[in-house]
Amino acid sequence: MQNDKEADFTLDLRGESCPYPVIYTLEALEGMNKGELLQVITDCPGSFRNVPEEALAHGYTFAQDPIKNGQEYLFYIYA
Amino acid sequence: MKTMIQTTLQRYWNPYVVLLIAGILSALYFGLTSTVWAVTGEFTRLGGDLLKLFGVDISGWQYFDMVHLKGTTWSRPDGWIVWGMFIGALIMVLLSNSFKIRLPQQKRRYVQGLVGGIIAGFGARLALGCNLAAFFTGVPQFSFHSWIFIVATGVGTFFGAKLTKMRWWKGRPSLTRGAAKPSTVKKRVIQPYVGGTIAVLYIGLVTYFFATGQKLLGLGALFGLAFGILIERGQICFTSAFRDLFLVGRSIMAKAIIIGMAVSSVLTVIVISVYDLTPITQIAALSTFVGGVLFGLGIVMASGCETGMMYRLMEGQVLFLPVFAGNIIGATFLAYAWDHLGVYDVLVKSGAKINLLDSIGPIGAIAATLVMLGLLYTLTIYWEKRYHHKLTIKRGAEIHAK
Repeated sequence: MQNDKEADFTLDLRGESCPYPVIYTLEALEGMNKGELLQVITDCPGSFRNVPEEALAHGYTFAQDPIKNGQEYLFYIYA
Repeated sequence: MKTMIQTTLQRYWNPYVVLLIAGILSALYFGLTSTVWAVTGEFTRLGGDLLKLFGVDISGWQYFDMVHLKGTTWSRPDGWIVWGMFIGALIMVLLSNSFKIRLPQQKRRYVQGLVGGIIAGFGARLALGCNLAAFFTGVPQFSFHSWIFIVATGVGTFFGAKLTKMRWWKGRPSLTRGAAKPSTVKKRVIQPYVGGTIAVLYIGLVTYFFATGQKLLGLGALFGLAFGILIERGQICFTSAFRDLFLVGRSIMAKAIIIGMAVSSVLTVIVISVYDLTPITQIAALSTFVGGVLFGLGIVMASGCETGMMYRLMEGQVLFLPVFAGNIIGATFLAYAWDHLGVYDVLVKSGAKINLLDSIGPIGAIAATLVMLGLLYTLTIYWEKRYHHKLTIKRGAEIHAK
């Protein structure tokens, strides 16, 4: 579970429904410096798919595979 | 076996496959019952039931006559479509151990959900159908009102997406420095057992309906269950189909819905010709357009339509309680406004029931429908490309500025 690199920022989206997890994630990534690592914690089932797919479609890369943690997912994305 | 359980229960299903099956099942349901997969008509009846419960005399309300308000929700096949969908979604949520009470961090979402829910409920009933009867199952019935409704929903969603992007509406996310700990996971897993028990009880109920000769209730309950399972497993979100195209250039849901409708249209035209059934046609009028715009706006404000709201509520997303309440309030208010506030005279009276099968024959109807859906598909791809093209230009400009 431990990362090679600690996340620089964490976006805690637990409780938020779609489309806000995607909007917030893309917004946070846009505001960060290139190379910084964002940790996203989300529990909206719709976001398990649209957050990683849209992060990739918007040109960001993943530091590691998404982690399923009970009823939530953790994403590690480079800005 | 283990991998099969994992694919069916641990992962969500491909939306293309899910909507393909939903399209086939809705054509089959029409063939068996001569009614379509729909939900908001029943929401209006539920509103009527509630009014009666509080002693309101609704005997003179035209709208309730039009939607055949009779008996209770338990004795109406449309009622069982709704409850079946809720139960089917709940069973899948529990079997996959994904139920969790999810409370929005942004308290403004409750207000947005209620207001959006009311607008969407009102708009859907004004147009005589939501994203099902005036969209996904309306197009395959060749009812022209669904064509108007699709365009209008697109317009409403566009403005809804603009609203969603505003700071005062979306709120600020809780971005914190450094890493944070995820929730601790409970070791004991009981949800699948509860889900399994509900599934067994429900199958018992469906069997009882058939055994006692209540075939329509049984079919409603059975197809409702199937639709509930499908929309939850596919995370089918009609709201996102247009909205995400405008918001983040995402097209998968729109494309899957269009393909599902195309397949369903082909099957329905065959079912209609072979069994000589009468397609379900609704009035196409100014009300269809106004209702569609309101519906499109409302579902984006509420973050979910009348169908998407159902499985999200079952997942434990508390936001969708006010949305559900709003949907029923909006639908009931429309039923009141229909004759009491002159909605019918102003917006509906001048309209007509137009069915493509009557106007241009079966070959013409299916050809026109497929061309329209093809056009919609092309537009979807165009919007997606346009979004990403703009994004590339924006990025390029930023790099130059640095």
